[in-house]
Amino acid sequence: MKTVIIHPERCVGCFQCRIACAVEHSRTKSLAGALFEAVRPVPRLRIYPGRQHLAFPNKCRHCDPAPCQQVCIAGAISRAPRGTVQIDPDRCINCAMCAMACPFGVLSYAPTFKAPEKRAVALKCDQCPEREGVGKVPACVEVCKVGALTYGEVEDAQEAKGRAFAQAVFTSLKADKEAGAAIPEMITLWRQLS
Amino acid sequence: MRYVIIGTSAAGLAAAEVLRARDREGSITLISEEEHLPYSRPLLTYLLGREIKPEKIFLKSADFFAHLRLTAILGEPVVKVNPVTCEVRLGNQKAIPYDRLLIASGARPRLLNIPGQDLTGIYTLRHLADVDRLEAGLAPGGTVVVVGAGAVGLKVADCLVSRGLTVKLLARGSQPLSRILDPVSADLLMQVIKEKGIDLHLHSWPEAILGKQGRVTGVALNDNRELKAQAVIFSVGVEPRVEFLAGTNLAEAGGIRVDSFMRTSVPEIFAAGDCCLPHHLITGQPAAFHIWPAAVAQGQVAGANMAGGRRRYDGILPQNSISLKGFRIITGGHFAPDTADGEIYTELDLPRRRYRRLVFQEGRLVGVTLVGEVEQAGIYFQVMAQKLPVRGLVADPKSKDFHPGKLWG
Repeated sequence: MKTVIIHPERCVGCFQCRIACAVEHSRTKSLAGALFEAVRPVPRLRIYPGRQHLAFPNKCRHCDPAPCQQVCIAGAISRAPRGTVQIDPDRCINCAMCAMACPFGVLSYAPTFKAPEKRAVALKCDQCPEREGVGKVPACVEVCKVGALTYGEVEDAQEAKGRAFAQAVFTSLKADKEAGAAIPEMITLWRQLS
Repeated sequence: MRYVIIGTSAAGLAAAEVLRARDREGSITLISEEEHLPYSRPLLTYLLGREIKPEKIFLKSADFFAHLRLTAILGEPVVKVNPVTCEVRLGNQKAIPYDRLLIASGARPRLLNIPGQDLTGIYTLRHLADVDRLEAGLAPGGTVVVVGAGAVGLKVADCLVSRGLTVKLLARGSQPLSRILDPVSADLLMQVIKEKGIDLHLHSWPEAILGKQGRVTGVALNDNRELKAQAVIFSVGVEPRVEFLAGTNLAEAGGIRVDSFMRTSVPEIFAAGDCCLPHHLITGQPAAFHIWPAAVAQGQVAGANMAGGRRRYDGILPQNSISLKGFRIITGGHFAPDTADGEIYTELDLPRRRYRRLVFQEGRLVGVTLVGEVEQAGIYFQVMAQKLPVRGLVADPKSKDFHPGKLWG
């Protein structure tokens, strides 16, 4: 399944993805329009201050089997034919059971224009189905300027990353230690991976 | 192979789905006393509060049974299970033979042992039929006494208040949810209860239900007060439904004893959900906590093992999510440490109504209470469920600037 893949070592925490995500999940799908909507859209991914890296983007992994789907007492969480885990705002009762089940802490609770009568519903990444319908990549991936969010097959990404790390380890064994000493760790990693 | 499942709620359904995925040929029969399609029991309070449309309570569509090739016997109670002849006897005296049996019969609400409980106007909320009875019995603008300030009692009180009824909520002790909340979080909750307009009576417990001409007129309390009411709703816990196992040695007072494969003392009989006594994830001792996610997980394990698998159940981790329209509390695990080296860490942000309470013992996180900000609760639950040593975590949960995201980044 194609999914948004996160490369935390590249993230600089600029929050462009959060803006793009909120805009994509608005009624008007434009930044100016979103600001004036009755229900202000919210982003569905979070950026944490990183520990190993400058910043850490966190979003739904669309697990299979999905713990959130198993605990949902309202039957609101299901798997879409394309493989993503989706929440039906019409069925969601805002009970926060999914927050207890999600090992990655990706859920948020806010109003959405898709269920305007509700105070809040559970929201998380839906991987922009309407964009996929017209052949576009998810909004967050499109705006990411540093390649921290990419879109592709998980297996391919794992393989590429494995190769890059092997190469990085190999290079570091050969490299002159003095030359690399002054560069911060994140930048070093970033350069090695590109 | 003939599989029979008693119960079509969380555990029974989860087991049936796993069974069908693992065994395409075998016959699967589900038996339920209720004639409705499978519905979500936790949603009953939401239905009563008119927060969901009536059709949204059903979890499966009408073709669910046919689609998975399941035989459903709905509206028929089980009166006896005979482990010797491997038969389940129904209320209409029909006998259903089985090779593997799953008992997922659930629980029924308790009442108190006080006079007046046979009057008209006494309710519990556990089945879909209870909502219809309540809808028919609740007069607009009336007064309702809710006995028991647990998770169900609170939610019932909340939805009745929002329907414009006067609600008096009785708590036996000095606070609601006394088994899972400490006084600090209970204080925050009580503020919200007050703002909602629920009339909470602490240290108050009914001694008798008063009535006239067979109808409820009020409640006599332990402090010699009397509350007038047109209806009384009991939410004082549940007890396992195991009466049809009388004489089989399978059930004890707290429920059906199972091993970590959800198997009972009879090898071809399994049990899952509220009727059984699984082991506690932290203590390893048999423990009854009646929660939906645990029933689903147990049903899946039982289903896999009935089809010949060897899946082990991790154990039950108590968890509760209380949501009073915008105000949220999530609790899980132990309320207090049960070893001498136990430690409790708390962090209160009073103006924002946020509170974080962590219970540690033997170098591990064993309990958590989150008030206000609960989105990241799952990360704490994973730390508990995986029994990770706190010392080994990359961020210290006991520091002021801790954020669960730090464990990931």
